[in-house]
Amino acid sequence: MLHWFKRRIQKAKSYRSNDEWIRQLSAPPDEEAVAELRRILVRGLRPPLSRYVDRDLDSFVEDVTQDALLRILEKLDTFKGESAFVSWALKVAVRVGFTELRRKKWKDLSLDDLDGMSDDQEPGNKSHSDNIVTSFTAPDQQAHESMIMTKVMEIMEKELSEKQKMVIHALMIKGIPMTVLADQMKTSRNTIYKTVHDARVKLKKKMAEAGMDPDEILREL
Amino acid sequence: MKLTKDILRKLIQAVAMTVPEEIGCDECFDKLSEFAEVKLAGKSPEKAMPIVADHLRKCGECREEYEALLAALKDLKPRLN
Repeated sequence: MLHWFKRRIQKAKSYRSNDEWIRQLSAPPDEEAVAELRRILVRGLRPPLSRYVDRDLDSFVEDVTQDALLRILEKLDTFKGESAFVSWALKVAVRVGFTELRRKKWKDLSLDDLDGMSDDQEPGNKSHSDNIVTSFTAPDQQAHESMIMTKVMEIMEKELSEKQKMVIHALMIKGIPMTVLADQMKTSRNTIYKTVHDARVKLKKKMAEAGMDPDEILREL
Repeated sequence: MKLTKDILRKLIQAVAMTVPEEIGCDECFDKLSEFAEVKLAGKSPEKAMPIVADHLRKCGECREEYEALLAALKDLKPRLN
């Protein structure tokens, strides 16, 4: 009975407020608070990561938790209290875990794979229509799709920078995650997103000027 | 750059969804735990934080992390309460 009561008290003590978490994890961190946060992260990370990891899940979760703990302790001063501390810490841990998953999956990608992505068409040798892979549809529909594709490619070729074309090619055609592309380009995922956003804004504007309505095109495709 | 119908559709969809003011992955990350907590409370974070919801619709990696965070918090909630 006494043991049960002690366990209840210990359990109750583990429900820290945000301020308590910050105080106890600030340097020098309280070992018990770190151990408890580690337990929470392992428990929280396991279900979502189990969907992506088939082998050595426990050791992967342990490694991610270790890296995440270091990151959390480093970034403690960026916690603004807008959510529960545990939610914030898990968010950091999930980012660490998914970044690692993406890097592992694309570990063999090198900068050479990205070279020439924006200019795999040799000027003068090919027209835009040579870079269109047609599908098995009715000839009229195929001609219409081909015309749209040619127009879109012309706009992309003319209006987008080499960097924007390379990034769009890597993400949309090669399916490379932004996290991995950012590593290769020695930049951040946020910068990659902004690069694509600027390209999308430009394409939307130029398509409108060319009388092309994206929603209408989508209905026709 | 070779375009197939599927890639063209993806590209046009992305263009159609574009608005001039979009937040990036960093700003989305800043708000993500709050967004997930509102969702878990049974309220609508999409209404409360529309620009975060907009980013999550457009960014597959942030969306993947948000779904993982939700799953983690759902699993922990009964134990933390």
